[in-house]
Amino acid sequence: MAIKNPLAKLIIWVVLLIWGIAVIYPLLWTLLDALKNNEQFFLNMPWALPKFPLLWSNFSYVWTKYNFSTYFLNSIVVTVGSTLLGMILSAMTAYILARYEFKGSNVLFTIYVASMMIPFALALIPLFFLLNDLHLVNTWLGLILVYAALNLPFGIFLLVGFYKSLPKEIEEAAIIDGTSHYGTFFRVMLPLSQPGLITVMITNMLNNWNEYFLGVVLTNEPTKYTLPIGLAVMQAEMQYRVEWGPLFAGLLITTLPTLMIYIIFQRQIASGITAGAVK
Amino acid sequence: MKTSSKKLSRNLFIASFIIPTFLFFCLFTVYPVIQALQKSMYDWSGMSENSKFIGFDNFKDMFNDPIIWTAIGNDYFLVVGKVIGIMLLATFFAVALTRFRLRSAGFFRAIFFIPNVISVVVIGVLWNFIYNPQIGFLNAFLALFTGSKVDITWLGFPKHTIWMLLPPTIWAGIGFYMILMIAAIVNIPASYYEAANIDGAGQWSQFRNITMPLIWEQIKVSIINIVITTLNGSFVIVQLMTNGGQPDNTTHVMGSYLYRMAFQQYHFGYGAAIGVAILIISLITTLILQRIMRQETIEMH
Repeated sequence: MAIKNPLAKLIIWVVLLIWGIAVIYPLLWTLLDALKNNEQFFLNMPWALPKFPLLWSNFSYVWTKYNFSTYFLNSIVVTVGSTLLGMILSAMTAYILARYEFKGSNVLFTIYVASMMIPFALALIPLFFLLNDLHLVNTWLGLILVYAALNLPFGIFLLVGFYKSLPKEIEEAAIIDGTSHYGTFFRVMLPLSQPGLITVMITNMLNNWNEYFLGVVLTNEPTKYTLPIGLAVMQAEMQYRVEWGPLFAGLLITTLPTLMIYIIFQRQIASGITAGAVK
Repeated sequence: MKTSSKKLSRNLFIASFIIPTFLFFCLFTVYPVIQALQKSMYDWSGMSENSKFIGFDNFKDMFNDPIIWTAIGNDYFLVVGKVIGIMLLATFFAVALTRFRLRSAGFFRAIFFIPNVISVVVIGVLWNFIYNPQIGFLNAFLALFTGSKVDITWLGFPKHTIWMLLPPTIWAGIGFYMILMIAAIVNIPASYYEAANIDGAGQWSQFRNITMPLIWEQIKVSIINIVITTLNGSFVIVQLMTNGGQPDNTTHVMGSYLYRMAFQQYHFGYGAAIGVAILIISLITTLILQRIMRQETIEMH
């Protein structure tokens, strides 16, 4: 029912507007401030519009001088690699757990789901030494493997539910036609599960792109930093070298890809949240 | 003969799909967890030859380590603050954007979720700038009212600096739980509300008697999720905003102290023990919360 009391309606609108501004406004002045020089920062008016000429050069400056081009490439490779690997591994297991009964299948499912409750801070130290022993510290592959493992439980959980919701007749028809188990999975079931796969993919992509805790432990050479790590290092350097405009430019470079993904895949992100929370 | 070969090929298929994932999971999740449990009983500086079994001494040391207690206190402070702040606002927004039939509800929903797709690092940098004593947003904004320059060091109070970490984490967390609650509210049959309307029940009573009990499951899940993610992940915001526990180690959380001990001071055994403590504390907290919230569901019916 719609709110009738005009005062109540006004209050609700004001609260919504204030929060909307609180969310949007910091991002807006990130853009404005990315185009300023230090002098304008010390005017102490963060809300002021940048003066002309706009310093678009701040972007090329962080891109080259602060190595954001390298970080960007690292982030792309690590995110794409880990998301795909995690997705394939979880889709295979999820399909079996949803469709084939075998001894221990319930136990296996429970183990995967329960592992979502483990704080990964616990595994941090051993993971570092494991990767060290495998000579995978400071490599793309190291981060890809660790992030993919982190993605597994959610992917398995969501996709088991998704495969269970698909009608069995489709597979039965494929098997009667003489299609092998593998053929049924790769040619029939995998394409059918596309909506579920996309939800898993987008959710994990965002997580992997934004990850910092493990990344900062598993990389210590600037050439292997991902964007969040590079940005954190750059902000720490601001104590000695004050370059606010470039810092904000770097912040935008880190954020824009996820904002774009969000705008395109809003619906899948929302369905990922609701599906993941039923656990 | 034919059926047994069929069975064999079926089993081979199952094995080939289950085993790679499981081995991968064992290597990168199960093995590190077991290692962490084991290493928490060692005095270990990182070199394998300098590893000595000391039983529960790391845990005993923890009891006498004042920073650990500060860290646990801060963790719980953030847990309580976030649960209250996020749940109140997220529930309010979820109800306002569904039940109140506002135009542009979809617009607000899309906007409110944005902080959730941003990296915690970016959020830390952004809020550092808001709090910055010289050129920060907050001081400049306050100066508009006082008429003179304001230079409060927001992240340098000798006590209670941890309070300053609450706004960014609440700001960052709301969207996710709002979406969760919106999905639950949308699933409530409209007939329930229609019946309440006929009975003349107002918005508040509809919220108390229909919405709340029917989204209680999601509220429970949300609270537990906030607890787990906070105990596990507050490290990043502390690392970014208070330089890993400053001033004077008053803003440490367990995660940041683990990082400090292990990767900056090379007490890896002690770090692993802190990791085990995080696990134990989050399990106990979750169990207690589940118990409390289950009872409340019974009372409501």
